[in-house]
Amino acid sequence: MTLLAIRDLYLHYRSGDRVVHAVDGVSLTIENKGEAVGIVGESGSGKTSMATALMRMLPRNVARFDGSILLDGQELTILSDDDFRRQIRWKKIAMVFQGSMSILNPVLRIGFQVAEPLLAGGEVSKREALQRAESLLERVGLPAGIAQRYPHELSGGQKQRVVIATALIMNPDLLILDEPTSALDVSVQAQIMNLLKDLKEDPGISMIFITHDIGLASDLCDHIAVAYAGQHAEFGSAERVLLDPHHPYTNLLLRSLPRLHETEPPQAMPGQPPDLTRPPAGCRFHPRCPWAFEVCFSEAPPEYPMADGGHARCFLNDAAVSGDRFQAHLRHWAESRV
Amino acid sequence: MLVEVTGGHVVFSTRKGVFRSGQVYALNGVELTIRRGETVALVGESGSGKTTLGRLTLRLVEPSQGKVFFDGKEITHASESELRPFRQRAQIVFQDPFSSLNPYMSVRELIEEPLIIDGEGSSQERRSRVDAALEAVDLLPASRFAAKYPNQMSGGQRQRVGIARALVRDPDYIVTDEPVSMIDASSRIEILALLDRLQRERRMAFLFITHDIATARYFADRIAVMYAGTIVEEAPAGAVIDTPMHPYTQALIAAVPEPDPANRFKRRPVVPGEPGSADGRVVGCPFYNRCPHRMTGVCDTITPPLAEWESGHRTACHLYDSRYATLEPQSGSPLVRTDLQYSPMNGR
Repeated sequence: MTLLAIRDLYLHYRSGDRVVHAVDGVSLTIENKGEAVGIVGESGSGKTSMATALMRMLPRNVARFDGSILLDGQELTILSDDDFRRQIRWKKIAMVFQGSMSILNPVLRIGFQVAEPLLAGGEVSKREALQRAESLLERVGLPAGIAQRYPHELSGGQKQRVVIATALIMNPDLLILDEPTSALDVSVQAQIMNLLKDLKEDPGISMIFITHDIGLASDLCDHIAVAYAGQHAEFGSAERVLLDPHHPYTNLLLRSLPRLHETEPPQAMPGQPPDLTRPPAGCRFHPRCPWAFEVCFSEAPPEYPMADGGHARCFLNDAAVSGDRFQAHLRHWAESRV
Repeated sequence: MLVEVTGGHVVFSTRKGVFRSGQVYALNGVELTIRRGETVALVGESGSGKTTLGRLTLRLVEPSQGKVFFDGKEITHASESELRPFRQRAQIVFQDPFSSLNPYMSVRELIEEPLIIDGEGSSQERRSRVDAALEAVDLLPASRFAAKYPNQMSGGQRQRVGIARALVRDPDYIVTDEPVSMIDASSRIEILALLDRLQRERRMAFLFITHDIATARYFADRIAVMYAGTIVEEAPAGAVIDTPMHPYTQALIAAVPEPDPANRFKRRPVVPGEPGSADGRVVGCPFYNRCPHRMTGVCDTITPPLAEWESGHRTACHLYDSRYATLEPQSGSPLVRTDLQYSPMNGR
């Protein structure tokens, strides 16, 4: 059974007399246990808003929140806030927030902080909760005895492992990770990515991995969604999105990455991300798109289905609309691929 | 040589509580040279000493041992007044364009300030030099940007102001300390391309400090890899990345996530632990504790010198020293790269 199915999710905020279209009609599916989906995009593309919508940790200035979120067949959007807190948050869906290593309480022992959600639930004894915390700390690769320590005694990588253990203590099915390695050095980042790969296998945790780095997403994710201006410009299997992108934004994103073993310098992404209080008319990417043509300025492209079950929101995928541009564009992509 | 550091040691004193004091060995004997018009990238992780080395070449810190030269002149312990002419020729671009620009000064005032300090030119001349600097960093039209204040600009534009501020003195040497790490990803390549263009047009020497070894490849002629206050490897940029010799460099490169859908099916080869803070003098190789190829009895007792085992490619590692060739872990002849566990990934 499909683990998570998000359909037409909207999350808008009020900002003064304007509305921020942070999540603007997003659909996303996680089919299987142990599957990871990456959400990749620039800052302000709505990646984190999507996660807070799933955790229902919404700010007060929400202007619109609707759509369908099915977790294991259960519709989450109709749950009351109380029921959501009791049944879903941390128990079924947990999250590692960006910069969350700095939210560890400096005066509490690590073991207690990890066990705290269990203790708050009141269903297990203190001894059992601490025991479970200890075995989980071991599972995430921390040395024995770490439970008795305090946060300041830990390195950055160790703290991030503690935060991951804290998110896992209630045995959630789905773990959302928002830039979990952005504060870490690259060699420590690689260690954390290995841990996440392990957790995907055993106990088979499904993940939503939010990052601005499409390379990092490829290190973990089976599917990749490319977020742009509150929507998913492209979605599909990691293989298809990385090797055969069908949206110019994905293509430019890939070409803007510095590659280790290529001598061709990375290409700058043209323009700036749009203001989400005034998303561009037509295709949201058209002001920055080198291949935009008339229809892109006035009409919003639909999600054109791809063979891998994903989609791309770009008229170039519709030969009936884009005509021979489609062919020229395919040629261009074939040439640009290394 | 335009810039030269020999045997550079920097020790910082720290206070731990009221009575105890500690010492941080930020640099442990580094050798660095930069030729006129050359770009050298200093790559390393947090605490490796790369920022300290950058500041040492600018004499913003004084070495506790070793010497610093600029354009043939020793400036190791030069006083601030002796350094005045040097200060005009060597500039820095800071990491954070949000905190390094005074919010109460307009862009024109910010860029003009160094010229006023130097007592350069009439106000008319300064005005045209500020405009020229703004044009050089593509903040156009210059007159419009000159009137702005930092909070009216994006991170990328602010960093351009930081670069213009360095350029306006027409320096021979610029240190850029993580110039793009605080900037939105979409503007990063543009800023790097701008620095690259300026460097080539004006033949300035650059020290490009970064944690991102992939970016260093495009920007630098040479890469120096730092670990725990020492340079562990130094070679032409392509050689460091395509044929890294030091086990730390190899681990650093193996850790770079490149967009490849096959990545998720394999664990990354990693070195255990984390870069230690250099708070004690290291005996032997600073990477000894984490090194997968360490030779006990050698690496933990003898500090490896930065030696040229291959032409133009210097590495501080005993694995390449034929004197230790018979020791574990190698079998037979001196270790060659292909024997190492961390061959470069993604052999595309």
